[in-house]
Amino acid sequence: MTVGKRSGRDGQDVLRRAGEASVLILISLADGPKHGYALIQEIKEIAGVELGPGTLYGALDRLERLGLVESLPADDRRHPYRITAPGAAALRVHLDSLERVSAAGRLRLQLGGI
Amino acid sequence: MAGSRGTRLTGAALRCYPAGWRRRHGDEAAELAMLLIRDGTPAIWIAGSYLAGAAREWLLPRPGKLVSAAACALLVAAGALGVSVGLLAPAAPARAASTSQVPRATHCRPSSRAPVPAVPPAVGTAQVAIWAAGHGQSC
Repeated sequence: MTVGKRSGRDGQDVLRRAGEASVLILISLADGPKHGYALIQEIKEIAGVELGPGTLYGALDRLERLGLVESLPADDRRHPYRITAPGAAALRVHLDSLERVSAAGRLRLQLGGI
Repeated sequence: MAGSRGTRLTGAALRCYPAGWRRRHGDEAAELAMLLIRDGTPAIWIAGSYLAGAAREWLLPRPGKLVSAAACALLVAAGALGVSVGLLAPAAPARAASTSQVPRATHCRPSSRAPVPAVPPAVGTAQVAIWAAGHGQSC
């Protein structure tokens, strides 16, 4: 919980070591709440990664403990999950960091003439 | 038929999770497995994913689990200590008893002509072993 709040304030990239699944889940939740099945389907579309259900719930639990997502009241048997404000901030910080790394990589490829 | 077998397989994998996890995610996870099987995802792959998740759930330390993990560690340590004490406890009185019964002065003295008894004194099995090791052969 506190980690998520801290990440929004001081720009620390808490998702750096969170794993690919956690980042993909946050990206998928960025445009609105979803339940497990929808998350798996969308992550497959976005990234071509077929997330196993065991991996999905493990990552969701971890993100929830960090306060980056929250589960909403169940409709039928499914719990939709929603990204929290600290979650959105952490995702922004992480994507910025990825963009910097990506830009540096492209620049070096250009300079190297490869 | 294959669907129900797949459901049974994933159900078995889900039963490997801790009870708290099953209370929280169990129904939803079972339904998710059903939907994935319906979409053509192999049940064995889903069950494997759930089994790996269950292993992580049991093995990874959680803030709430720290106290119980410490208690478990203490219990294991206490158990190991208890076993060690239990193994040593019968040997100590046996050694004490055998030394008092063996005529040490007679057969340990080099000049003594008293014969070393061929059989140990009538004592228990553990005492026999100790008698043989401590007196019957070393002198």
